[in-house]
Amino acid sequence: MSLAMEIARIAEVKLGDAAPQLVTVAVDVGDTAGVEVSSLEFCLEAVFATPPFAGAKPHIVRCAGDVLRVAYLEVDDGRTDD
Amino acid sequence: MAVRTIEVRERVMARNNEIAAEVRSRLAAHGVTAINLVSSPGSGKTTLLERTLTALGEEIDIAVITGDVQTQNDADRLAAHTPRVVSAVVTNGACHLDALQVLTAIDEIELERTRLLFVENVGNLVCPASWDLGEKEMIVLFAVTEGEDKPLKYPKMFEKARRVVMTKIDLLPHVPFDMDRAVANALSVNPELEVIRVSALTGQGLAEWFDFLRNSVLPVSTSG
Repeated sequence: MSLAMEIARIAEVKLGDAAPQLVTVAVDVGDTAGVEVSSLEFCLEAVFATPPFAGAKPHIVRCAGDVLRVAYLEVDDGRTDD
Repeated sequence: MAVRTIEVRERVMARNNEIAAEVRSRLAAHGVTAINLVSSPGSGKTTLLERTLTALGEEIDIAVITGDVQTQNDADRLAAHTPRVVSAVVTNGACHLDALQVLTAIDEIELERTRLLFVENVGNLVCPASWDLGEKEMIVLFAVTEGEDKPLKYPKMFEKARRVVMTKIDLLPHVPFDMDRAVANALSVNPELEVIRVSALTGQGLAEWFDFLRNSVLPVSTSG
């Protein structure tokens, strides 16, 4: 849960004051990161189910090594499609 | 709806690790040895610290930071055994201490007259393993009232620790705990682990613990 909360903090900082609607949070998780993916996913779903993130979905990307990082965010900033 | 992507590429622990490096630097500048005590709840961290403060408090300048989800009960208990300030961090629900909390807490501590700093982490064998606090060494306490397979269930904690203190060994005749199997499990996760066996209640094994602490403390500079 602590990792999920830190990921939420990073997302919140990245979104800034404009705070567009967060749709997806992609997290790279290395095979040797010491993270149980299903547990992290469960915690992320719990954290991102609450304001200000309500509705955002985690997307775990497995990769090699011990990396654990927020890869990218997908947001809906209310603009219409061109 | 127009969904756009924001690249982040930020390591989850980056910010904490930067702060931990600052904690480590400040402690090193003052010659302070910091030990992060981690374990399940109820393994005897506070009792071991009570005995340690009582036995070594006049020999070594010891400061303590305690972390608890709620209450400062542990800090209050320890304060009865030392004239030094015991800094209590209440995490308000968080299951671990982080480096920023420790950095803030050491502002309350007179580092220039401290040789040994204990950080009593929140009782939890999962999350504290991921958070560098700027300590020199993480030590995991493992009580004989737990299961022998704890190191196998929570390997990250035992991988990161350099020492394991088996606690409550006075209870061995009364509990179905296989010490040899427990130690073998711990060593299978981390072959470098050193094992100390203690009973804070009877005092058995504490001499070895105290000697380890004496040897961990940096010599006082006599330059000048």
